[in-house]
Amino acid sequence: MNKVLTFTLLILLLAIPLINEDRDSRYENWSKNILCPVCQGENISDSPSEYAEDMRMILREQIDSGLSDEEIYNYWVVRYGERIITNPQRTNIEMIILPILLISLFILAFIRSTKNE
Amino acid sequence: MISNIGIIVTWISFLNLIFLFFTKSNFQIQRLARINLFFHFILFCLLEIGLFIDDFSISYIANYSASTTPPIYKFASLWGSLDGSILLWNFVLSIYFLIYIKYFHKKEFFVDVKIFSSILAFFVGYTIFSSSPFAGCIELASIGCANSTLLPFDNLLTSEFGRGPNPLLQNHPLMAIHPPILYAGYIGLVMPFVISTSHLIMKETNNDWIKMAEKATFFPWIFLTAGISLGAAWSYEVLGWGGYWAWDPVENVSFIPWLLATAFLHSAKTQIRESTLINWNYSLSCLMFLSTIFGTFITRSGVLISVHAFSNGNIGTYLLIGLSAFTGLYLIVGARNIEYFSSAKKLSNWFGRSGFFIANNIILFSATIVVFVGTVYPIFYETLYDRQLTIGRSFYDTLVGPLLLILLLLIVFSEKLPNKNLNFAEWVKTNQIEINISLVISIAISLYYEANYEFIFTIFASIVLVIILSKNLISYFRKGRISGSYWAGQIAHIGIGIFAIGLILNVTQSYSKEIIATPGSTIEFSGNNYIINQPYQESKEEKDVINLPISKSNKVKNASLNIFKNSSQQAISSPAIFRNIESDTYITIKVIDDEYFKLIIRKNYGIFIIWLGLALTIFSIYPRIKNE
Repeated sequence: MNKVLTFTLLILLLAIPLINEDRDSRYENWSKNILCPVCQGENISDSPSEYAEDMRMILREQIDSGLSDEEIYNYWVVRYGERIITNPQRTNIEMIILPILLISLFILAFIRSTKNE
Repeated sequence: MISNIGIIVTWISFLNLIFLFFTKSNFQIQRLARINLFFHFILFCLLEIGLFIDDFSISYIANYSASTTPPIYKFASLWGSLDGSILLWNFVLSIYFLIYIKYFHKKEFFVDVKIFSSILAFFVGYTIFSSSPFAGCIELASIGCANSTLLPFDNLLTSEFGRGPNPLLQNHPLMAIHPPILYAGYIGLVMPFVISTSHLIMKETNNDWIKMAEKATFFPWIFLTAGISLGAAWSYEVLGWGGYWAWDPVENVSFIPWLLATAFLHSAKTQIRESTLINWNYSLSCLMFLSTIFGTFITRSGVLISVHAFSNGNIGTYLLIGLSAFTGLYLIVGARNIEYFSSAKKLSNWFGRSGFFIANNIILFSATIVVFVGTVYPIFYETLYDRQLTIGRSFYDTLVGPLLLILLLLIVFSEKLPNKNLNFAEWVKTNQIEINISLVISIAISLYYEANYEFIFTIFASIVLVIILSKNLISYFRKGRISGSYWAGQIAHIGIGIFAIGLILNVTQSYSKEIIATPGSTIEFSGNNYIINQPYQESKEEKDVINLPISKSNKVKNASLNIFKNSSQQAISSPAIFRNIESDTYITIKVIDDEYFKLIIRKNYGIFIIWLGLALTIFSIYPRIKNE
């Protein structure tokens, strides 16, 4: 009985995120990863400043008129430099591969040295 | 005058350390360590006296203090910039040296004293050979001092005014607390380094060293946790940055020793119990210390840009030499103990107690790797391509987030870890009621907020953790049997669980908006009305403060703008915070004019819960103190 209850509750909990619409639309994704150049380390999504507001409007237009990720990326990088993009791991894939590779090597070495032969 | 005395006392303290290095009598060691602390206390007091009497013939004081600086910030100016902070560093290091001699030094050893005194001499040497806070001014700048000398008895020039501390550092009394506490954490990690290297040099290969190193890590770990938490509180509550953690390089390099020390506190226990993981523990005990030096190197040598860049200096090369020497010692001692390391017992069950401790280590070290890569990668990138790179939150969220979530799930089992492999079905059966209650609470919370998967997993893991561990803690607390490291761990784990609840609420639910208001107007924000009153100006000696009283029902809070005189730096905006258990309404001034103001108003969730969790984690010192 108890087990069934636990199981049902668990399923319920897991279903909750499905009823919320996908909040990370393309626009959200981009605005969370463009740095506001006049704020202290904030992206334009979080930053309440007017400057960020203008940038958000430009971004909104770009998304609405169907620009590709490549085009959007180029637009911002040409104007503000690479620093403007706060998720450089998207274009520099080695940034993700490097830590994962190091972690894998570490785990392998760690397990090898502690395992029973 | 003070400049001369300071330089001479520094030299004498350096000579004293050389004596200490060669001493072969325990009685002498005790005495010289006390004398050493005495010298560093004198140096500390000398610079404080210089700051209080405005001795602007000292370059450091002319550049980082001013006659108008209020007393508490004069006091704190000692660690307001690099050269002075080295003085605090040496003072704290000398305190730890005496603690070490008293509690950890073995009478038959001298090599530990040699290592410790070399480390001390290294840092004292910086103030002798590279740059000293006592250096006298020999060339004036328009305000402050342009050039200084490391030699005593020069003809010194006195500037009329001091330049004053960086505005960020004279806005709140926390400046007097946060750096010394953080230092007490960092520097304490010298002790495990000295303990493990000296024991292994002396081939004392029983588990003595690991027990001592664990104890010598726990108390600095508490200070480190407290220091980082205070820094977070400062940036959020006072500086008006709106956040408490930005994955800024300086924050990252304080997080790395914390992650390593947390890992070590767990793996040391495994070795004490089962004599496993000896090489790993040796490495961790050294890496904790080496990572603090490394962190100081990359953040204080100017190779990285950071919001904390106010204390850059020419310490780079000097630190690099020290870092190489200490790393060399670690590697050589390690290489000469391969035999001892291979005598370590192998692990018998991967899903029992030791397995959990190892999983903890793997996760914490993996997180360290990610933070390390994220911190140093921009340096390599800039060197290679000559372009700058910003590594933002999403990098760490993607890589560190899942790791810490798994760790949180593992902590749930920490109440009672089995010696043999864990029987999951049985565990669920034993904790059925708690699990069901947690599921119901999690469902309620997740329906109330906008929940995604990250949210529900974190909420469920934290709640089940807090419920199971608290129930256990409370039942023993009634019997008054809360002492020893098990309970320290349990309290810290509950603290981390509460912290995680606050954190996930904060990162997923918070929002902000910019508003334009006029005096007397009412603004509506998330269902509450806030009245913006007439601003008024306060003039103090060192700054002008524009206060904007904001009222909500009958509570009035000031948002303020602090404009520092003698400073080209931007004004500092202090927030008005209306807090309840669930969320903060956080209002900062952006622009203020006669007719209208631009305000930033944020809804920050979970802040109170975050502070509560951190406070509880720090409180885990209580059962250990009670035990010792």
